[in-house]
Amino acid sequence: MSLLKEVLAELFGMFMADARLSGAVLLLVGAVALLIDVAKVDPLVAGAALLTGCLMIVAAVTAATARRR
Amino acid sequence: MESMSWSVAGPAVGAAFAASLVEVVEAFTIVLAVATLRGWRPAVAGTGAALAVLALLVLTLGPLLDRVPLHALQLTIGVLLLLFGMGWLRKAVLRSAGVLALHDEDAAFAAETIVLRQEAEKNPASLDWIAGLGAFKAVLLEGLEVIFIVIAVGAGRGMLGAAALGAAAACVAVLAVGVVVHRPLSKVPENTLKFGVGVMLASFGVFWTGEGLGIEWPGGDLALFVFAGLFLATGAGMANVLRRPAAEVAR
Repeated sequence: MSLLKEVLAELFGMFMADARLSGAVLLLVGAVALLIDVAKVDPLVAGAALLTGCLMIVAAVTAATARRR
Repeated sequence: MESMSWSVAGPAVGAAFAASLVEVVEAFTIVLAVATLRGWRPAVAGTGAALAVLALLVLTLGPLLDRVPLHALQLTIGVLLLLFGMGWLRKAVLRSAGVLALHDEDAAFAAETIVLRQEAEKNPASLDWIAGLGAFKAVLLEGLEVIFIVIAVGAGRGMLGAAALGAAAACVAVLAVGVVVHRPLSKVPENTLKFGVGVMLASFGVFWTGEGLGIEWPGGDLALFVFAGLFLATGAGMANVLRRPAAEVAR
């Protein structure tokens, strides 16, 4: 049972190691999907927003972690 | 494989190879600790059992991938790759900047040896079993990550075989070097590999997520290289901005 727990914890940790990073990525993808499907924004513009958002998230979470330590 | 383009296959095989190298080195360290303390029998038994479980997982779940609609598969894998790849990139940037300590295979080897010795004192009769279980857990947990990486970089464009080949090459390379040097592979530049893999996986993540949402990237597969360049520049830039003096890291 403890092995199963460890496996599940490992799988969870693979994708959710940093809650803020994971939350921000999921919010970003949701927002881009809304831009395309609801706001009917040009998919290329939405794609640029996805890419830029990801780069900004990397910069923001690393800076925030460094500030805390 | 007909639709396979080498501009995607190259990074896919490279990402699978480099990421698997990191994971296999970590698993090898634990297996070696088990073998050093209790001999190769429990180490090989634990490793073999874990590989059998992993093979069973692949054989059971692998065929299900063909039943998932392509856009849904690309979107799901893309988002998982963003979470996984950006997580690796974040950690690699922080380690490179000295905010987090570097992963040390020698320290991991020593820690596993201490754990096994403590278990031996508590329960000497079942030490072979405990040692085998240690090897089993290490190979199973690191192997799960390898399987995810192979599926993630390979499934979107029918390149599972090529990605699996990259992962298999990493296993062979680690085993070959490990057999020769017979000690933890602490010279492998793990953080540099993790940095590169994080960049590639995050780039694949943006690419597949976009395709899953119906975005047609200009330049097609070549857009991956632009994404990789931008993630690399951002990661390297942040590592540089956040870099701390060595004395501060030691504290």
